[in-house]
Amino acid sequence: MASIKVPKQKVILCGEFGVGKSSLFRRFTNNTFVTASDRQSTLGLDHFDKEYSVAGRQLRLQLWDTGGMERVASITSSYYKFAEAAVLVFSLDNAASFHVLSQHLLDIVTYAENAKIFLCGNKSDLEGSTPQVTDADMESFCEQCHNLISATFKTSCRSGEGVHEMFEDIAQHLVEANRSRLELQSIHDTESFKVLPPDESTDPPCLC
Amino acid sequence: MDEEYDAIVLGTGLKECILSGMLSVSGKKVLHVDRNKYYGGESASITPLEELFTRYGAPAPDQSYGRGRDWNVDLIPKFLMANGSLVKLLIHTGVTKYLEFKCVEGSYVYKQGKISKVPVDQKEALASDLMGMFEKRRFRNFLVYVQDLQEDDPKTWKDLDPNVCTMQQVYDKFGLDKNTQDFTGHALALYRDDDYLNQNALQTIRRIKLYSDSLARYGKSPYLYPMYGLGELPQGFARLSAIYGGTYMLDKPIDEIVYENGKAVGVRSGSEIAKCKQVYCDPSYVPEKVKKTGQVIRCICLLDHTIPNTRDALSTQIIIPQKQVNRKSDIYVSLVSYTHQVAAKGWFVGMVSTTVETENPEAEIKPGLELLGPIRQKFVTVSDYYEPIDEGKESQVFISKSYDATTHFETTCLDVLDIFRRGTGTDFDFSAVKQNLGDEDQ
Ligand SMILES: Cc1cc2nc3c(=O)[nH]c(=O)nc-3n(C[C@@H](O)[C@H](O)[C@H](O)COP(=O)(O)OP(=O)(O)OC[C@H]3O[C@@H](n4cnc5c(N)ncnc54)[C@H](O)[C@@H]3O)c2cc1C
Ligand SMILES: Nc1nc2c(ncn2[C@@H]2O[C@H](COP(=O)(O)OP(=O)(O)O)[C@@H](O)[C@H]2O)c(=O)[nH]1
Ligand SMILES: [Mg+2]
Repeated sequence: MASIKVPKQKVILCGEFGVGKSSLFRRFTNNTFVTASDRQSTLGLDHFDKEYSVAGRQLRLQLWDTGGMERVASITSSYYKFAEAAVLVFSLDNAASFHVLSQHLLDIVTYAENAKIFLCGNKSDLEGSTPQVTDADMESFCEQCHNLISATFKTSCRSGEGVHEMFEDIAQHLVEANRSRLELQSIHDTESFKVLPPDESTDPPCLC
Repeated sequence: MDEEYDAIVLGTGLKECILSGMLSVSGKKVLHVDRNKYYGGESASITPLEELFTRYGAPAPDQSYGRGRDWNVDLIPKFLMANGSLVKLLIHTGVTKYLEFKCVEGSYVYKQGKISKVPVDQKEALASDLMGMFEKRRFRNFLVYVQDLQEDDPKTWKDLDPNVCTMQQVYDKFGLDKNTQDFTGHALALYRDDDYLNQNALQTIRRIKLYSDSLARYGKSPYLYPMYGLGELPQGFARLSAIYGGTYMLDKPIDEIVYENGKAVGVRSGSEIAKCKQVYCDPSYVPEKVKKTGQVIRCICLLDHTIPNTRDALSTQIIIPQKQVNRKSDIYVSLVSYTHQVAAKGWFVGMVSTTVETENPEAEIKPGLELLGPIRQKFVTVSDYYEPIDEGKESQVFISKSYDATTHFETTCLDVLDIFRRGTGTDFDFSAVKQNLGDEDQ
């Protein structure tokens, strides 16, 4: 293959039901917002690719939504596999959604050991004058996690504020992480691969 | 749970997850329930390692096994045929996007006490000790015949109508000796016993074509294995079902299926009843509707080395044809390793399995265990093989068969497609899967 491949990075959204993960996903895919938790519109779509350019380097973020599995059951562990980044999402108007994050964090470090982790307080439009979760709360959470959190963000899917900045910033972190890793890692022929539909042009099969 | 569904699926084993995915994709409202807290049922990969040891009542693993959560150990060993039905299902449903695979490095066959590599190219074939020189020539003629045969073109049949003649007649026409027949039927056509010899040849010819088409795809062997273990497969299909609107509930004990006039109308858990038109489930949820038709023995073996005489392959399959060890069914050996993220660094997971034929199943797998070299830890399971007693048409309860001793997923897929047809009255429409599942473009 002669063409230069744009590295693809899997980014997953984690957090309680209702904090706005699918809304972040919808902002990412087509920059829209819907008020009702309308699952129909994303039915059948669970991940989406978008290219970012950081300091002259191309990078493709592939954002994954949970598919709503967290509502009554747990998310499959395979959701986490091969993730390069995980966004821990909570809702700024719901302290409970913030306090359970340590459980989600545990899942991430268990199943996506090498993922960079980001913290995202969503629904900033509902924050008001007496916030349910303060900046100080977020800071102390990061400290408790021994700096596992690479960056923190505040977003509003309703107004769109902070959403694109967040994904650009995540892309930047991944480009930097990639650079050092690609330099360390030599290419092995034992790499795993995806199975794809057979190439029409392949030679007729033979037992040799 | 107190809602009404088109279908309730019980158990999250691979077959049930594929069915759940196909039903959701077809627009059905699906509730998918498992009594366990994890996905996969019998098809789960057990993690961490401590969990596996606990499951078998063994004392906890010591330090030498590395980190427990680096292990994902399958309870049922299988590989995917690279060109087989499961891969086709994965591709057509888009579930392939959730998974990554490695090609199994080599396939071996047992002959007179030792193992030989199944040749994958002419160089290996020339050096192979599987057959003598004249036999190799006869075998070549046979392979060329199989490759060239077109089912709808009598000119390619060489005077033997494959729809009518038996496989034995085809072997005899090419003058293949018993050893070559053994090798062909068991290591290439992947039959478990010799019943096929007296059956119509077409089925066997198709199987050999599947083998060689699969081999042609990645070169090293016709088999693929998913990273992080087979447990990733049911999870992938569960996710497909969820993104098409399926609802999941784990850790939910099922007390009974509720019937009206002999037809399933719901499922009860405690005081809750979920209503439905149909139930799909594995045999463990309906003991009164299945019959035991046999037993399978499987032995999980943890090793800290590769299998002797396999050129240090990090993944292999070995087939012991039944006749070689005076049995009625083959013994299968498979090996995967830390390179598939199923074991801690430096470790291997071997599996020996077969269909039980005697009162002492552990003795039956001895020829397989002997090939492995020193075994650090062994876990043996003998499981009953169940089949439904009816087609489910009246009760609208559609039951899958237990997982058999075959080393690949062809029978698994056949069962799933058959259940789907019985349940919905139509074949699965692959085009129902939206093409906007994201582009796969490498
Ligand atoms: C399990 C098994 C699988 C084999 N698979 C292959 C295979 O996939 N490809 C392969 O080339 N040989 C294959 N062979 C057969 C191969 O070993 C030939 O028999 C050998 O290459 C030469 O044998 P020979 O000395 O009898 O020469 P001959 O039989 O006289 O062979 C002369 C030439 O015929 C061609 N040829 C031989 N066998 C085959 C064959 N099976 N398919 C296509 N062309 C052939 C080669 O170009 C060879 O140089 C296989 C043999 C075994 C036991
Ligand atoms: N006001 C406000 N509502 C939001 C915001 N993000 C999401 N919501 C709403 O919160 C609800 C749950 O969002 P959803 O994206 O489905 O959450 P998910 O369960 O995490 O995927 C929906 O009704 C959204 O419209 C936001 O930034 N501000
Ligand atoms: Mg959602």
